[in-house]
Amino acid sequence: MPERSLLKELIDALRCLPGVGPKSAQRMAFHLLERDRDGGRHLAQVMAEAMERITRCQRCRTLSEHEVCELCASPHRDLALLCVVEHPSAVAAIEQATDYRGRYFVLGGRLSPLDGIGPDELGLDVLEARLAEGTVSELILAISPTVEGAATSQYIADIAAQHGVRATRIAHGVPLGGELEYVDGGTLAHAFAGRQGF
Amino acid sequence: MDAQARDHLQRCFVLHRRDYGDTSLVVEVFAGAHGRFPAVAKGARRPKSGAVALLQPFQPLWLSWSGTGEVRTLTRCESGGRRFPLAGERLYCGFYLNELLMRLLGRADPHAAVFAFYHASLGELAAHAEAEPVLRRFELQLLRELGYAVALDREAGTGEPVVSSQRYRFVAELGMCPVAETEADGISGDTLLRLAGDTPLTGPQAREARDLTRALLAPHLGPRPLKTRELFRRRPRANQPQMSANEAEESISPQMNANGRK
Repeated sequence: MPERSLLKELIDALRCLPGVGPKSAQRMAFHLLERDRDGGRHLAQVMAEAMERITRCQRCRTLSEHEVCELCASPHRDLALLCVVEHPSAVAAIEQATDYRGRYFVLGGRLSPLDGIGPDELGLDVLEARLAEGTVSELILAISPTVEGAATSQYIADIAAQHGVRATRIAHGVPLGGELEYVDGGTLAHAFAGRQGF
Repeated sequence: MDAQARDHLQRCFVLHRRDYGDTSLVVEVFAGAHGRFPAVAKGARRPKSGAVALLQPFQPLWLSWSGTGEVRTLTRCESGGRRFPLAGERLYCGFYLNELLMRLLGRADPHAAVFAFYHASLGELAAHAEAEPVLRRFELQLLRELGYAVALDREAGTGEPVVSSQRYRFVAELGMCPVAETEADGISGDTLLRLAGDTPLTGPQAREARDLTRALLAPHLGPRPLKTRELFRRRPRANQPQMSANEAEESISPQMNANGRK
């Protein structure tokens, strides 16, 4: 009979992390118990606090421990620009890679009617209220170029049009350093259609 | 049949997909010769795979797969042509066709004819044909292929030809029954004959046709509402890219809306 031990419980609990199977979970558990108990305690404490306190920002729906996240509260961001992304990870990516100085709105997914993910699940009523305030002049759609992403972009662009806000979307094309012959046909077609003056 | 699918690429469409694990996808495949079935695309979401761009709705595909269980495993995936460029309201129409197929086609039931007219319908939607007749034709053809066809040009019971000046009503499991002129939810014989003859309809006749196909589909769809109809009904309508909001409303939005209730 396998005994239900605390050690086994820890290993099972660690498996909730993405990409962590039984073997990795076991390695992590032994590492923390044998070599890094302080690190383990710290992790447990931060984890408990984060799970308790981090919620969605009321303005942009990104993850934050404040009611209004730092980006939304910052007086140095451009109020006229609003960038719509799917996940908080995209906010981090854009912040690191670009000099974008506007604000964000995080959907938390894409419209997927067949999965029952509709406008309510994506907080589009919050977005609409934000556009109705009248401070936003350009809405930048940075949503994955999949079919469902296109439906989402279209839906949001229609909301923007209702409020007289100009909607733009980020360019789709060949990745930098990529070779044309290995780029898939759809991307190449998009890149070709969206060519620019040189 | 499955050995053949493993060795040879088959013409397919993906009706729906969702993420599976960290790097894989589960796709609902619709293959001409094999019908509809779920399949795992292992590693499709890895950065170098390239399959993630291909395995999308409205993209003609050549696929091969292995396995005999309910969920197959995709072994190869190649493009079968350009993705149908559906935009705006037509994108919702495309999702509607997919949802109908997901709801009405049984698993692994071959439907070569359905595949052919699904392909043709996507082509017409992408080519900016009038969307509504495309949807009506698709709905009626789908019902016919599934064996649920209703004779639109014959009266139920008697088999008498439908008269264009008379009004009719669809009664489930019977067919088109003549009703009095004053009946509210009736459909004119003229509309029925035009529908049967595949003549495009406009205005009130298009509305009648939409209500009729909805009634024809309802017994087979069951009580669960179509999600694409709900989305279509709620969509914002500031700019109207290809059709007017009114026309679009007529194409797929739910019955209850037509009666002014929510």
